[in-house]
Amino acid sequence: MDSITAFLSNIVENTDARTSEGGSPSPAPRARFVAAHDFPLMPVGQACDMGHAPDGTPLIDPRIFNAPEFFRNPYPYYKIMRDHYPVFFDKLHNCYYVTRYDDITTCYFDDEGFNTIPKGSSSGVLGNTQLELSGVEHRRRRNLYGQHLVGKSLDNRLHAIESIGEEMIADWDNLDESIVQDRNGVRSVAIGRAFANEFPIRVVCDVLGFPKESRKKFFYWYNSMMSGLGGSETHHQGLEARQDLEDYVGTLVEERRAHPTYLYDAAGNPIGKDIISKLCETQIDGDYLSTEEITSNIALVVGGGGETTRGAILNMWYLLLQHPQQLEAVLADPETMWDVAFHETLRHSTPIGGQPRHNSFDIELHGVKIPAGSLVNMVDFSANHDDRIFKDPEVFNIFRPDLYSGKLLRSGYRKEGRCSHMAFGVGPHLCPGAWISHQEAVIGSKILQRHLKNPRLNVDKMPKDFDGSLMPIGLISAKEIWIDYDLN
Amino acid sequence: MSTTEATRATPGAGKAQTEAAPEAPKITYGRNGVPITPGGVTGHGFRTYEIHQRERLGQSTAKIKPAQLISPEFIRNPYPILDILRENYPSYRDWLENSYWITRYDDVTSIFTDDANFETRPRRWFYNIADYGRDLRLELPVLFAQANAIDGNAQAVAEEIVGDIRAKGGANLGIDFAARFALELLVRQLDLPKEDAPLFCERYWRMTHGFNVDPVAEQDGLAAIRELTEYFRPLLAKRRANPGDDLVSAIATLDPAGGPATAEDLVVTLLEGDHETLHGGLANTLFLLLTNADEFQKVKEERRMAKFAFLEALRHSAPVLSARRFALHEVERFGKLIPEGGMLICSAGAANRDPRQYKEPEKFIVGRKDLCQREPRGQYRADGLPAGIAFGLGKPSKHPAVPEDRPRSLYAITRDTATTALNVLIDGLPGLRLKPGAKPELRSLKLWDTHTCWDLSVEFDN
Repeated sequence: MDSITAFLSNIVENTDARTSEGGSPSPAPRARFVAAHDFPLMPVGQACDMGHAPDGTPLIDPRIFNAPEFFRNPYPYYKIMRDHYPVFFDKLHNCYYVTRYDDITTCYFDDEGFNTIPKGSSSGVLGNTQLELSGVEHRRRRNLYGQHLVGKSLDNRLHAIESIGEEMIADWDNLDESIVQDRNGVRSVAIGRAFANEFPIRVVCDVLGFPKESRKKFFYWYNSMMSGLGGSETHHQGLEARQDLEDYVGTLVEERRAHPTYLYDAAGNPIGKDIISKLCETQIDGDYLSTEEITSNIALVVGGGGETTRGAILNMWYLLLQHPQQLEAVLADPETMWDVAFHETLRHSTPIGGQPRHNSFDIELHGVKIPAGSLVNMVDFSANHDDRIFKDPEVFNIFRPDLYSGKLLRSGYRKEGRCSHMAFGVGPHLCPGAWISHQEAVIGSKILQRHLKNPRLNVDKMPKDFDGSLMPIGLISAKEIWIDYDLN
Repeated sequence: MSTTEATRATPGAGKAQTEAAPEAPKITYGRNGVPITPGGVTGHGFRTYEIHQRERLGQSTAKIKPAQLISPEFIRNPYPILDILRENYPSYRDWLENSYWITRYDDVTSIFTDDANFETRPRRWFYNIADYGRDLRLELPVLFAQANAIDGNAQAVAEEIVGDIRAKGGANLGIDFAARFALELLVRQLDLPKEDAPLFCERYWRMTHGFNVDPVAEQDGLAAIRELTEYFRPLLAKRRANPGDDLVSAIATLDPAGGPATAEDLVVTLLEGDHETLHGGLANTLFLLLTNADEFQKVKEERRMAKFAFLEALRHSAPVLSARRFALHEVERFGKLIPEGGMLICSAGAANRDPRQYKEPEKFIVGRKDLCQREPRGQYRADGLPAGIAFGLGKPSKHPAVPEDRPRSLYAITRDTATTALNVLIDGLPGLRLKPGAKPELRSLKLWDTHTCWDLSVEFDN
C-alpha cells in the first residue's frame, strides 16, 4: 500500500547528517563523502573512487578539495580534471577550475576578459595593492616597487643576500637542541627553522630598508598575513598582523619622509635609497603615496617574498635529497645546476597553487558556459603537471629536456619543445619577485652546500605518510626537513 | 626599535589588555604549518579598506569559520551557527564557499523583492542543462490544472492514507504520511496510472534532489530526468489526442511561444516546482505538535488553529533553509560591494528566527501574535507583520493580483491542503502521540537538502 514511498527508506538511511558524537548512522551502500576526513588516503598518484558517470568518466566530488587526502596527493585529481573536465564547475565552492597549461596561459594573457582576483580577498589583509587591479592601473602600481626587485638594483644587493645567509649559518652553534643536534661528529639540523624560514624574510627586510631589530616581528607579519587571507581559518590573525604592521610602518614612513635611508654595495658605497624611502617620494598623478598605500605595498612584498621562497628552498632540498644522483649532479656543477634544479622544483612542487580570476563577460570554454563575474581559478599546480606539455610530469627530473630553465619573462617561454613552468604565473601578473626569489633560493642553497658536508635526510625525524614512506609535498610546501651532515 | 615601539604601544594598550585577558594563549598554525606567534600585538581596531566596513558593521569574523557552514553538524542542525551569523555578521562574506550569507529578515526579503539587481538561477542551470526545456509553471492552464487537482483530491488522499495507517496500527508520520501525501497529490495532478506511481515517485525524487554538490546524486538525477522524459513522451502524445483535466493534458494542449510543449518542457516544469514545502512543512508541523503538548492541545481544542500551526511551523522550522540569488551587476548592499555574479545565500532558517521580528523566535507558538496569519499576497509582510519565509509559497507571482480569472496562489493552496491533511489526521487517529522511546529530530539528509523530520514514529488509540 505504501509502495510509493518505499524507496525513501533507503534514502533516509543514506544520510549526511551526523550526531554530534560523530557516530555514523548506518553503513553506506556506496562510497559517500561528507566531511573532509571521509576521503580515504590513497597511495600517491592514485585518485580515490568518487563514482563514475554512465559512460565511465570518473566523477569529482567537490568536497575532496577540503580533504586532507587532496592536500597530500592532489595531482591524480587534477589529472582527472584536465582529461575530463578542463573547465570544472565546483558547486560547493561556487567557482570554476581551469586546469590545462594552454588554457591557463591564454586566460592569464587576457587582461580584459579576466579581471584579477576577487575584490576584497587579499585587500582585507594586504590592503589596496595592484593584486586586485588590471590594465594600466595595475602596471603603474606594480612598477613602483617591482623595479627594485630586478636588474641592476638587485645585482647590487646580491652580496647582502650572501652575507645574510652566512650570518645565519654561523649562528647554528648557538641554537638549541630542538633545531640543531650534534652526535658523534654528525650534525642534524632542521633546515626550516635554522635557515629557510627566516632567510627570505631577512633578505626582504634588508631590501625594503627595515631596521634589523624588526626581523622577528617581520616573521610574524608575513606568516600571519599570508596564512590569513580571506577564506582562511586564520583570517582574524591576518587582520591583526596587518594592523600591527601598519602601526609599525606608519611611524617608519614618517621618519623616512624626512630622513631617507640608503642601501650600500659590497664596498660600502651608497647605491640608492631603500624601497621604503623611494616609495616615500613616489607620486601617482601628482600625489604622494599615502602611508596606507605604502604599507599595502610593503605588506605585499612581505607576504609575497616569504612563504614562496621558503617553500622553494625546502622543497628543492627535500626532492634532491630523495634523488641522490640528481643531488650529486647539482653539487658537482653548482653554477648552472642549482638554477635548473630550482625550476624543476617549482614545476614539480610549486609553493603557490594558482591565481583566481573573474571573467568580465559571459564566456564558453570547452563547452562550459561561465556567466560573467564568476570566480575562475587558474590552477598552476595542474598546468605544471600537464602531460600535454611535460612528459612524465609526476617524475622529479632536473635533466628533463622539455622544461625551460632560463630567466622567466612576462611573455613566458615556449620554443623548440621547451616550456617555462607556471609557478610564477605568466603575462601581466607574472610574479614581480620571480627573479629575486630565484636568486635567494639559489644563493641560499649554494651557501648551504658549502657548509653541509655529505648531506642526507634524517629519515627518522621526518614526518611519514600513512604507509610509512616519507610525506609527499602535495599542495603545501615541506614544513620542515631534517638534514644530517658530517662535521669533519 | 625604542621610539617606534613607544608610539605604537600607547594608543591601544589598555584595550588590548582587556580583550586578551580572559583567554589562555592558544597556538594557531598557518597554512604552511608554522605556528603564528603574535609578537606583541596591540590589537586595537582595523583600518584598511574592507576593514573600515567591518568596523562600521561592528564585525570581525573571529566567531565563525567558513568550514562550519558545510560541516555535518550544520547539515544536521544549522540553527546555532545561523544564530552566530545573524547576530554578528548579517552579510557574512564566506570566502571558502565564495558567497555572502544574508541572515536577517528584512535583509533577506529586500533581496527577494529586488529582481532588478538579483536573479534566481533555475535548478536546471545547476544541472548544467539550462536549455533542456521550458519552465511552464506560470502558464494559466497549468496553474488551474494544479489548483483543481490539489483542491479536488486533498481530502480523499488524506483519508486514504489515514485509513492505511489505522489498518497498520502505527506509522512513521514523516514518510508514511507527509511524504506520501505530497507525492500522492503529485501523482493525482498528473493522473498517472496506479501501477506507474512508485517508479515515477522514485525518479521524481532523484531528479529533485540531485542538483547539489554530490556528483553521484547528480548523475542519478540526470538519468532520472532522461528516464522521465522518455516516460512522458508517449503519455503526452496520448493526452494531446485525448485530453483530460490533469496537468499532463494541460501542458499537452498548451501552445506557448516557441511551439507546442514537449516532454522535456513537462519534465522541466516538474523539476522547477517543488513538493518540499508541503511534505517538509507538514512533517515539521507534526514533529513540532507532537513534541509541544500544549500547542498540540490548542489545535485539538480549536481546529481553526491547524492553519496557524502549519504557518508557525514553516516559520519556526523552514523545510527549505535557504535560496540562492546572484547579483546581476555590481551593487552595494549592507555596506559591502557585491560584485557582478556574486552569490547571496538568503537564509530562511536564520531570517525566520530573527529576534528583530519575532519575540522568542526559537519558541513554537501556534497563533503567535507577531506572525502574519494571512496570505501576504506575494510579499513577505502584511498588516505590518512579517509572514515568515517559505520558498515556493511567498514568491511574488508573475501575474498581477487579479484574482478573478486565475486560481488562488500556491501559498494559499498549499496552506489549505496542509490544513486539510492535519484535520483528517487528527480526526482519524485519536490519542495521537509519539511512540515510547522515539527521539525524533529535524535534519537534512544532504547539504542544502530539505530540513525535516524523517523518523516520526507514532502510536494512537484504536
